[in-house]
Formats: sequence, structure tokens, C-alpha cells
Amino acid sequence: MTNHWTDIANSDCIMIIGSNAAENHPLSFKWVMKAVEKGAKLINIDPRFTRTSSKADIYAPLRSGTDIAFIGGLIRHVVENELYHKDYILNYTDAAFIVDEKFDFSDGLFSGYDASKRKYDSAAGGWRYAFDTDGNPKRDPTMQDPRCVLQLLRKHYASYTPEKMSEVTGMPVEKFHEVANAFCATGTPEKSATIMYAMGTTQHTYGTQNVRSYAMLQLLLGNIGIAGGGINALRGESNVQGSTDYALLYHILPGYLKTPRASNTSLKAYLKKWTPKSLYGDKSANWWQHTPKYMVSLLKAYWGDRATKDNGFAYDYLPKLDEGTIYTHIGMFEAMDEDRIKGLFCFGQNPAVAGPNARKERRALGKLDWLVAVDLWQTDTMDFWKRPGVDPKTIDTEVFVLPAASSIEKEGSISNSGRWMQWRYKAVDPPGVAKSDLWIVDKLFLALRERYEQGDTFPEPIVNLHWNYGHEDEPDVHMVAKECNGYAMRDYEMKGKTIKKGEQIPSFAWLTDDGSTCSGNWLYCNSYTEAGNMAARRDDTDAANGIGLYPKWAWCWPVNRRIIYNRASVDTQGKPWNDKKWVIRWNESLKNGKGGWEGDVPDGGWAPDTKYAFIMKPTGHAQLFGYGRVDGPFPTHYEPVESPVKNAMYSQQNNPAIKLWASEMNELGTADKYPIVCTTYRVVEHWQAGQMTRNLTWVSELMPDMFIEMSRELGREKGIANGDRVKISTARGSIVAFAVVTPRFKPFKLNGKLVHQIGVPWHWGYSGIAVGDSANVLTPHVGDANTMIPEYKAFLCDVEKEV
Amino acid sequence: MAEHTFYYDGSLCIACRSCQVACKQWNYLPGEKTEFFAKEGGYQNPSDLSPITWTLMKFHEQETQGEVEWLFRRHHCFHCTQAACIEVCPVEPKAMIRHPEFGTVHVDQNLCIGCGACVEACPYGVPHVNYELEKSRKCTGCYDRVANGMLPACAKTCPTKAIRYGDKGELYALAKQRVKELRQAGWPDANVYGPDQLDGLHSIYVLPVKLETYELPAKVEWEYGRLEPIKRKAQEKYAAVLRERGVGLASVAGGGISGALVASGVVAAGLKKLADRKAARAREEAEEQS
Repeated sequence: MTNHWTDIANSDCIMIIGSNAAENHPLSFKWVMKAVEKGAKLINIDPRFTRTSSKADIYAPLRSGTDIAFIGGLIRHVVENELYHKDYILNYTDAAFIVDEKFDFSDGLFSGYDASKRKYDSAAGGWRYAFDTDGNPKRDPTMQDPRCVLQLLRKHYASYTPEKMSEVTGMPVEKFHEVANAFCATGTPEKSATIMYAMGTTQHTYGTQNVRSYAMLQLLLGNIGIAGGGINALRGESNVQGSTDYALLYHILPGYLKTPRASNTSLKAYLKKWTPKSLYGDKSANWWQHTPKYMVSLLKAYWGDRATKDNGFAYDYLPKLDEGTIYTHIGMFEAMDEDRIKGLFCFGQNPAVAGPNARKERRALGKLDWLVAVDLWQTDTMDFWKRPGVDPKTIDTEVFVLPAASSIEKEGSISNSGRWMQWRYKAVDPPGVAKSDLWIVDKLFLALRERYEQGDTFPEPIVNLHWNYGHEDEPDVHMVAKECNGYAMRDYEMKGKTIKKGEQIPSFAWLTDDGSTCSGNWLYCNSYTEAGNMAARRDDTDAANGIGLYPKWAWCWPVNRRIIYNRASVDTQGKPWNDKKWVIRWNESLKNGKGGWEGDVPDGGWAPDTKYAFIMKPTGHAQLFGYGRVDGPFPTHYEPVESPVKNAMYSQQNNPAIKLWASEMNELGTADKYPIVCTTYRVVEHWQAGQMTRNLTWVSELMPDMFIEMSRELGREKGIANGDRVKISTARGSIVAFAVVTPRFKPFKLNGKLVHQIGVPWHWGYSGIAVGDSANVLTPHVGDANTMIPEYKAFLCDVEKEV
Repeated sequence: MAEHTFYYDGSLCIACRSCQVACKQWNYLPGEKTEFFAKEGGYQNPSDLSPITWTLMKFHEQETQGEVEWLFRRHHCFHCTQAACIEVCPVEPKAMIRHPEFGTVHVDQNLCIGCGACVEACPYGVPHVNYELEKSRKCTGCYDRVANGMLPACAKTCPTKAIRYGDKGELYALAKQRVKELRQAGWPDANVYGPDQLDGLHSIYVLPVKLETYELPAKVEWEYGRLEPIKRKAQEKYAAVLRERGVGLASVAGGGISGALVASGVVAAGLKKLADRKAARAREEAEEQS
């Protein structure tokens, strides 16, 4: 989230798209309904009418996978009608920047595409700004130059008319206008709008571009950085934000540092490659210029005194990514199915239910030598070798089950969607022999180290690892948290102050690249200081601006800044766009007349107009022109890999930069055999792959069985009534579920053609007390071009009444 | 102390059903073995209140001129002021009792004989007899929590404050105010349910659409004619229970209090039996949950 949960209450207009927040983030509705009670408009965009829709002022349906056609329509509406916040886009975004003359777009393809590789060469395609002789991007402050970003944007979305949008999405034109009028009215300084989104946005072959399209719309309206604004990703688990911050994903190290590639052969080469150069000189803060300090401090946290200047701070110990290898969930299971992975640890993961193309992933598990599953319950993944229809004798995988402590049975922190790191205490002992994840990892490491000390290939990264979390059986979680924050490895001086060896580092501004400091995650530097554990704070006093920042409640990254990009909430003189809901403001009388910021922790303490607002960007400006993505600088409408229709906007049918797997069990379906759009989702009554809820009677009674939701029209066509058993088939497999025939689903009219859509929740599996068929038997192994997140949300199926 | 009431605002409710789960958790009620329930979209489950389900979210789907509405209503005991259940309860003193401070209605599990008169009399289908325990079971108004300064479990857990609990006068006024706001915000049929029924309910609703949608009776008549035969039949059952326990019929006919006193020794023995059974059930539940 750019903002945070509490801040939703400040909004004048809330658009929930790609999310069923009322069901999957019910607590968010505490804040949504507060805003609504104060008169905010609630808009919900969804293929089906949900419990979220039931509370919306405007509900507008849209076929799964057509967000960009819809948001592109809104962008066009904003640009053509000049509803954008002009001062904001001129000063804080790249709207006025001139783009390289080679950049072009034609019929669904950007310049630089190589069809034989299914890849773009962005350099050849001119995906960059045009630079002046000083090496800075050229600008046209009138934003009239046909090659400036705003004008290219206008050109790109010119064809996204309400009528075309409707033809693609199935959203009635009048509904579009209702939404456009309500949402785009917030381009004025005194109004704010927020977008809440989740997996309905991301789980597409162009999921990254879906998110970008929301960000662009919000930038145009000046809604980023302000109270009640932002784009707010609702994370699917209480600590997904924390685990992402701490490098759950393969492409990043803690704090979003890049994972080294094989070609980054030394620390020097790595830092050269990944430390961006500032454009526009001093006026651009270019915060990632500090990458060397963060990287070296991370290496010091990993290898302590064994990381020295002479050995490149043990950079060689880090594993490197091979270029071209895909290490994501799909990539991992493809490799497993090809017998290239021997062992798997599943911590709180249940891929037998949650992974796409579940039949294939279950088969792949059977090719492992060993599987260690760590969970609160007996999961479908642990039971994969005795799943229905399989002879256990045919599976050689050895399965180890490690019972884990639940969140209330251990101490530690979680980081919520709003980036708040909140400390939790242990309430009760775990049952039986269940242990905390920390205990499990600690004991595993100690055993591995013992083994590697006896000699092995390249044992140094393990035997030299800095590992000191106390002498008790249960590792000291405070020592882990303190190391994540970082402390001084020796006495050192900075800004006229001496920090003694062993002292906690006050904030990441004090980290160094010479080995004086360690920090397990620079973003969390400031969370556990000499003043104590900031995450454990429980003082609910609000800040001076009274907008619900609660700066002394827990702690928030970075440096307790509750709304990021908040330098964009004021004009270039430091005056808030909106005095009633100001986030920060410049006060001349502070600091003995030198002036200072008040309110939230600002995005850097510099005086107004001395630095550009978007401090993480090399140019200091937010990018409407997103040249860093692999599939193009402007979000563009493509159809899902499996789609019932031809792309009505371009002859390019799908995202041209996605990977298509040619291996076994990767069949794709076509509309002649599978004419119905299917999507998957969750219900409030169950949690993810179900292991935490399908084992509880109190929630299982609420939602006991797997079901499918379909329109009355489709029910009539197929002779299916409420409560019937229905078979749903895709090219990957088929499942059976109870029918819910409901007016909450409606067929879409696409250019006169009637297209049906159905939906299935994905919680069920064969283990637990509430069992049922798994929706992911139906889903394909295809993923987003940038992230490889699976396309769970739009694929093709057929349904029939089971006889 | 002033009387209390529950308050439910359907315009704020997202039907997350955390009230349903919190109620079970606080009251140690086991989960029901349910099956997919296909009525109106399949989300309502269990299908109705029962001896082990005391609060239930009801779902109503409707479509008018192409616009879909999905409406929710939290169903539990209304804690009526004119409470038919209290009227027909044959036990002396009454097993169905009104909390002297809060005004809510609950079953004294020690006294109840499970005759089912309250089940028959209740216009809202709230109480249900657990025939194994021979006790009538329903929402207690969480008087055990409220008496200790806590909110009822359902109100405590509700994320949107659709369920509230507190001073009856204040919440009656809030409901009126909220309906006014809703009517201005595009809900012309918004209405309050509760203050006008049975001398004022201790669980009131703010409903965004017409009452009929929710399958609620607008007029609930206090019909002695209907209640009398229920009461008479229940009194006969009570007499039979007393006979079984070795207490004379006189205790019913001739002044309940002395009769109950006579019976108290016998009742105490019965209570011990009940406590044992409860403990056994709690053990079973614990096993079921673990």
C-alpha cells in the first residue's frame, strides 16, 4: 500500500477493482464504511456481484482480464477532458518529458519486438527519454510536444473510447460514464480517490501492467501521496508484505535489493550494474544511489566479521541467478516435473491445492526424493502421495511433516499491507511437539553447519554464516529483529556523532558501505533502535494533522513514514494541496526559523523545491512512461492466453512477451471447445488453500462444499438449477461442484456476442474435514510477463450437469 | 441502569459472518455438520437457527430492473419486551427470564425443562430445544460478558460496526438518525425494525430496503388466544416433570415459589447430572477441535 488501512477512511471516492475486499479483507471495510458514512462514493468493478458490490454506490461488471481496456478508457476520459491535476503531473511526473524518437507503437506491438525470441529489445526500441546535452531528459513544460509523455499517452489511449471499452469488457457504456464521472472528479486538489486492488488485478499474463494502469490513472489525478489516495494492494496474508520485504521472491534480496545475476561477477560489478545514476543532478534524490551501503550492510549481517573489504564483503558467497532461468512458482514446478529438483521445503504452503495446474503440480511432487512440509495441520500437500486416484506404492517421495506453532504460539512481528511492522507476543505454548518457524530454521541450520564443517564442496557460505541468536533452545527473536534493523560492527563516526560498536543503528541514513554497519534489511533500519522495539509501541495518539496516522502505534517502513510519496501532497512551496486533509506541510517557524516539515515523516527532510517529489526514481519524477517493464512502457489491452474472443483492439492477441511452456500437461483450450470464461476466487469463510479453515468445524459449517457460481441465463441454457452437481472442464482437467445459479453473475455482451462467465472458489482439496474438488485442477501454467504470477483469473472452460 | 439493546445496521453489514463464529466460540457451541445449502445463492449456512446455532446471517438476493441487490440480515433473538417465550414458560420461577438490568431475555439452564413452549410461542423461530439436554437454547444476550463490562461476542467481533450493543434509548435514536441519512443517500425505503414491535425489541435493525425483502413480519400481534393453549400444554408437561421428580401437582396449582422450593433438592440432583453431561460434551468438543 502507498497509504494504509486507516487512511481509507479519508477518501472521497473508493474504487475496489480486482478485489473482493468485503470478503477477503473484511477488516478493510471497517475503514471503507467509515468513509461511506461520511459520504464517500464506493465503486466496485468485478465480473460478478459480490458482498463488496452489495455495499457499492456503483457496481460495474467487467469480463475477467479486461482491466486495461477499462482503465485505458478512464485514462482517455481524463486526458481528453483535461481532468488531470495539471500542476501535479507537470512537476511530479514525467508527463512533460520528451521520449526518444525511435519509440513507437503499432497494432499492439511496441518498437523493438523480436518475434523469434518472443521478447522486446527495449534499447533498440527506444524505450527511454530524449536527453539534452547534459544527459538529462528533455522537457516541454507546455506538455504540447507530440513526443512528450502526456501526448504519447493521449495517442496510446485514443482508441479506448467508451464504446470500444464496452465491446471489450462487456461493461455497459452508461455504467462506464457513471464510474468515470465519480472517479475522475477527484483530479481537483481538494478531492482524493483511492484504488484498492488484489489478486483479481495481478493474476493475469499482464498483471503488472494492470497495476501500472491504476498507478498511472492515480498519478494523472494527483491522487498519489495524499490522504485518502494512493493505490493500495490488499495483501492476501497477514504477513505477505513482511515476507516480500524480506525477499520471499527469487528476484530480490531483503529490502528490494536485486538478486545477483551470474554476470554480476563481483561486488563491484554488481553495484555498478544495480546502482542507478541520478538525472537532473542534485535536485533528484535518487534514493537507490545508496544501494552500496544497503548491500554491504546486508552482507555484514549475513557473514559478520567474515565479510571484509578484502573479500568483497563475502559477495561471492551469495547464490547467483542464471540468466534465462525462471525461478518462480511455475518455473520451480516445471523443473520439478523434469526431475531437476530433488527436495522441497513447504513452509505454510499448500501447492497441491494452491498451485496452478494442480494435477501437474501434484505429479511433480511425486518426482521429489523428499518433501518437508511445515504446517499447523495435515495438508493436501503432505497427503499428495495418497490423494484420490493414486496408488501410494507408485510414489517414492519421502515426506517429513514438521508441526508448526501458530501466530499466537510464538513471538515476533508481522508487517501488514499498510507496511506497519507490529510486534506480537506469545499467548500460549504450541501443542505437542509443534515449534516456531524460527526454531525449525535455527535447528536445521545448526545441523547443516555441523555437516558442512566436516567438509563439502564450497562450505564457506554455510560454515562462515554469522549466526548468533542466543543460547536458549528457542532462538531469541529480539536478536533477529535487532540484526534486521542493524547495529554498528565497530565504533564509527558520521554526521559528527560517534556510534559505538554494538549500538543499534538509528536509521538507514546511518548505514555505511565500508563494513562499519550491518543491517539485515535496510528498509527496516529504524525499527529496533537504542530506544527499543518500535514495532511494539501501542500509543494511539494521532499526529498534528489528525488524519489517523497514529505515528506512535507500531512502526512503519520506511522510517515510520505512513503515507509514501507524501512530498507530492504539497505544491512546490510545501503548501498542502488540501488544507483539510494535509499529510505534511512546510512550517517556516520551525527549527529556529530555518523551517521544517510537520505532519507525517516527509519523503526526505529537504526544504520545498530543493528536491523532486518521487525520491526513488533517478529523475525524481513518477513514471507514466514505464520503460522498465519487459512488455512495454504503456499498459495495453491483450486478451488472456485463453480467451473466448479475438482482441478487438489490435491484431496482437496476447501479451507478446510472455513465456509459453511447451512441456507435457500444459494444454491450452480454445473457445470452440471451451466457450465459457472461468475465474477463481476466495470466500470470507475460508483461508487460502484451506488448511487453516477446512480443519475447523466453526468455519466449515458456513461453507462446507465446493461450488460453482453461474448466471441464470447459463443455468437455463445448460439445464442446471441451484444445488445441482455440475462438471466443469478445461484443457487441464475437470472437477465437480454444487451449482449456485444466481443473478449476481450476468453474461457479457461483447460486440453483440453473448459470452458467459462462471466462477469457482479455490479453497478445497482432499484433506481436512471439509473436502471438495480443487479449482486449480482447471487453471493453466501460464504467467505474467514480468513476474510469472499465474493467470488464475481468466481461462476457458465448459460446464455440464453431472448425470 | 438503563435498558440495553442490540443494534444491527444492514447498510453496514458485509455478511462476513464473524458474528456467527464468535457466538459459537464464546458459547462453546459445536459446529454443525452442514451440507451445501442452495437457497438463494447458497451462502446461508446452517439453514436456520438451532440448539447449537444462536445467531445466523440470512442472505436475500433480488433483482429489480436489471439491478441486483444482495441483502443481509443478522438473525438472532430479538429479546422482546412483550416476550411470548416468558409468558408461556411453565416453570416456576420462570426458566425464561428477563435480565433485571439489561432487559434482554435468556434461558436459565438450571430451571429449564425443555418443554418447547417457547419454541412454539416465539413469533421469530428463535429458541430451539436440545432434546438430549432437555433444555431450550438460544442467544443469551451475552449477559455473562456484558455483566463483566464486555460487549457481546457478536458486537465485539463485527468489523464494520454493523452490530452494536448499548443503551436502548441511545441506539433507538441512532437508528432513527441513520434511517434519515440512508433515505437521503439513495435508499428511499430505509426503515427501522424493532421499536414498534412487541412494545420495543431489545434487538433492532436499520434496514436499507423494504421489510418484505427480509421475510420479517411488520405486525407481530400479542395474541393471548394463540399463547393460552401453548401455555396450558406446557404447564401439563411441567406437572408431569414434577411428578417424575416426586413433587406434587400442588406446586403448579398452588403458588409456584413454595412449590419450587419443595422441588429444589430434586432439582439440585438433576443439575449435577446436567453438569456432568455438559462436562462430557465440552470434552468431546475439545477433542473435535484439536
